Parts: sequence; structure tokens; C-alpha cells
Amino acid sequence: MLGLEFPPINEVIRWQEVFPTFNKIGLIAVAAAVIASLVFILASRYDSTRAPKGVRNLAEIIIDFIEDNIVMQTMGRDGMGWTPFLTSLFVFIYLCNVPGIIPIIQMPATARMAIPLFLALVAWVIYNAVGIKHQGLFHYFKGIMFPPGVPKPIYLLLTPIELVSTIVVRPFSLAIRLFANMLAGHMLLVTFALLTKELVQGGNAALIPVGILPFFMLVFLTAFEVLVAFLQAYIFTILTAVYIGGAMHPEH
Amino acid sequence: MEAFAHFVAELSAGEQKAAQAAIGAGFAYGLAAIGPGIGIGYVVGKAIEAMARQPEAAGMVRTTMFLGIAFTEALALIGFVVFILLGL
Amino acid sequence: MLTVVMTNGSTGPEVLLSAEGEGHSSTYTFADCAIIPAGREASEEIESLEECDPGPSPIMPEANELYWGAGAFVVLAILMRVILYPRVRRGMDARYQSIRDAYAEADSTKAGAQSEVAAYESALAGLKAEATARIDAARATLEGERSASLADANARIAARREQAAAAAAQAQAAARGDVGAAVAAVASRTVEVAIGRTPDAAVVASAVESAMSVGVSS
Repeated sequence: MLGLEFPPINEVIRWQEVFPTFNKIGLIAVAAAVIASLVFILASRYDSTRAPKGVRNLAEIIIDFIEDNIVMQTMGRDGMGWTPFLTSLFVFIYLCNVPGIIPIIQMPATARMAIPLFLALVAWVIYNAVGIKHQGLFHYFKGIMFPPGVPKPIYLLLTPIELVSTIVVRPFSLAIRLFANMLAGHMLLVTFALLTKELVQGGNAALIPVGILPFFMLVFLTAFEVLVAFLQAYIFTILTAVYIGGAMHPEH
Repeated sequence: MEAFAHFVAELSAGEQKAAQAAIGAGFAYGLAAIGPGIGIGYVVGKAIEAMARQPEAAGMVRTTMFLGIAFTEALALIGFVVFILLGL
Repeated sequence: MLTVVMTNGSTGPEVLLSAEGEGHSSTYTFADCAIIPAGREASEEIESLEECDPGPSPIMPEANELYWGAGAFVVLAILMRVILYPRVRRGMDARYQSIRDAYAEADSTKAGAQSEVAAYESALAGLKAEATARIDAARATLEGERSASLADANARIAARREQAAAAAAQAQAAARGDVGAAVAAVASRTVEVAIGRTPDAAVVASAVESAMSVGVSS
């Protein structure tokens, strides 16, 4: 009987520091910001009157994607001012997610709680600030606590739930959704990688052919993680946009 | 089962506690995944039905579908976080 | 029972297989752990990985990661807001504007060409109308001349016919006179032979005349 001893989780997701306070997560985050900036700087250098190609095309596709699929769908035309923020949010999260499947790095920066939590808090601050600015403090909280079109006695139940869900649950569910998705994907990849390695290099020749099965699973999950990295960045961004849009235009 | 009980009895107190935590974590995640599994299936199924009926509204339906999936999935992910907190 | 132990080796994760009961063939140092506990040397040997600092809960955010992540994102967001996005957007807008301008120019060119075509067509229509009018006028003139010459010819034919008719009537009258005279001479001679006396010339002439006119009229 073979037993696979899974390494302690901190072995899998924590890394030795490159220099004090700066570890791999910090490195990925900084690299994400630098790569995103480079893409847009290179894009803005191209002759803008020609048909876009290469980096410029990439940057324009990102901006068009954010405008058409996120801003217009959730906030409408007034939300166009939020495009730069949402673009940076989307690109940053995507570039933090995608190292999870890049060989050698193999670690999504968002599989640690710090970055998702920070981004969720930023989103929380922004949508509350937008709500207070657009509707005024009183109307904003009134809109949250007493949603219109509900019979009076229901408010007894609804008001605390709505208040807690908007003020507390939203940012945490936003952070945990991103964090847990990326961590789960990372743990799956680690599990199947370990299983493959153990079966192939475990010293038992009969088990070596069996090792192909977890390896196929590993390849499949890596492909799946490509999708998840994009999808989670998209979902985080669109939820932020939905919250900001909801704060801008309260339901009547 | 007997072998398992024998195996558990041989463990130290700390190891027994860890084993129980691992079992609890497994149940926590397994149970937490049931509801969202059904929910996501329902959301996606209905979304596909809507897209099949009105292909011209597919873009809007897809966006809303992802939002619905995101909200439903959060429950399973909270289960996953609890799994990590308890078990590892 | 074999157990697999996974460690952070020098070349990535290292998997060791060991039979239960035997001790690990190699000892570890703190360098194998993810975190080196404060105050310990990396080269210090430890019995097993259990002695490693398990580290904080995997759910808890870590301050250094929070700072680096936050810093990176804030810098990116501000750069995006101030420089990166406006520059790319301006380029896009300029291109879209130039495309729109080109479309507008094409539209105006098309409208100009269409108005030229319309002017040409109206000129063509005017010319055609003029040509038709001229042709009609020429045709009317021709018709007039033709009918005039026709009438002239008819008149000449009628005159000739009258002339011929008159000549014929004259010849007839002359012939008739000759025939009457001859008949009267023959009749008076016949009467003279028969009764021996010469009849009155005037009576004979009137009798011949009435007989001839009866014959002509019958």
C-alpha cells in the first residue's frame, strides 16, 4: 500500500523570500503591474491612424472588451469614466492568476489572500463612495436597508440581511471567490503533479504506466486553469462594475 | 472498517484530533458542494435554454449567467475555505 | 507500508519514499522548510519537517504580500488612469474619427457625383426635347410642302382633263354636224327620188336633228 503524504499547505503556497519582505507573490504582483504598463506603453507608441496590430491590437481588444462586455452591460454610458480603473483591475488580476499555469513560476499570486482582499476592499471603498456621492449618505443607506416594493413587515427581516450583505458579505465574497478559486486550482494541480511523480518515480515499475492517468488529468486541469484565470478576472471585474453601477443608479 | 479503527487507535491524541479534523473538513466541503452544484447546473441549463430560444440575446444572457454562477459558486468556495481552515 | 515524504529540495520539490518504521535516511535542515523560524540558522539540522514552523493560517493575508500587491495595483491603476488609458484611447478615438471623416468625405463625394449625374441627365433630357421639337417642325414643313405640291399636281391634272374634255366635246359636235349634214343630204335626196320633189331643207334638218338626239340620248 502506498501512502501519498501531502506536504503541509504552507509548503505549497508560501515561498522563501527573495529579499526581506519581498517574496514570490510580491514579485508576481510587481511583474503584473510592470507587464500591464509595458503593454499599454508600447501600444500607445504605435501609429494610431493605421489598423492596429500586435501589442496595440491587444491593448485595444482589452479596452473594447471592458467597455462592451463590462461597462456597457452593467453601468451603461455614464460608467465610461470607470473604464481605466476596471481595465487595470482586470489586467492586474489576470496577470496575477496566469502564473499559476506558467512553468517554473507555477503559483497564482491570487491564491494568497492578500491581493484579493486588498482589491475587494478597494472595490468596497469605491462603490460605497460612489453611492454616497451620487445619492447622498441618507438616501444611499435608505436604498440599501429599505429596498422599495416590499411589504412593510418584511423589512424586519430584510433590513439586517441587506445591510450585512451589502456592507460585510459583498467584499468578502468578492475576495474569497477569487482567492478560493485560484487556491483550489493550484491545489488540484499540486495533487495531480505529486501523484504523477510518485507513480512514475516511486520505484515500483508496475505503477509507471498508471502514472499516465494523473498526468493526463494534470494537462487537462492546466488547460482548465487557463479558462479559470480569465473567468475569475472577468467575474471580479464585472461584479465590481455591477456594484458600482448599482450604487450609481439605485433601483427605483 | 476494523482495520481503520485499529489504525486510529494506534495514533497519538494529537494525531487523532488531526484525523477527526480532516474527516470533518472532508464532510464540510462535500456537503457545501451539493447545493451550488445543483444551483450552477440549473443556472447554466436555463441560460442555454434562453440562448437557444433567443440567439440574438445570447450576449446578455451569457453575462447574466456568469453573474449567477459567481454568486452561486461563492457558497461552494466558502466550503472550500472552511475545508482548508479545518483540515490542513 | 511505504510513505512518501515531500520536501522542498534544491531543484524543486523532492519526493522521498521510505518504509515505515525505518528512520529517514537523510536529515533535514531548516532550509527545507518554507519559512525559516526566526533566530534559527538555515543550515541547522532538524529531525523531520514536523519541526518546521507551520506558518500562519493559509487563509490569513500576510502583511508583506498585502503591501507589495497593493503597491503594485495602486501604481498600475494610477498610471492607467493618468497616462496609459488616455493615450491608447486618444489613438483609438483619432482613428475612429478619421474613419468617420473618411466615410463622411466618401458620402459627400458620392453626393457630388450623384448631383453631376442628375445635371447631366437633365441636360440630356433638354437636348432630347429640343431634337424632338426640331424633328416635328421639319416633318410639319415637309408635310406642308408635300400637300402643296400634291394640290398643284391635282390642279394641273384637272385642267388638262377639262381641256381634253372640251376638245372631245368640240370634236363630237363637229362630227355630229358633219353626220347631220350628211344624213340630211341623204334624206332629202331619198325624198326627192321618192316623191320627185325637193323637201324643205329646214324640215329635213330638224327631223334629222330630233332623230339623232333621240339616238344619242337612247
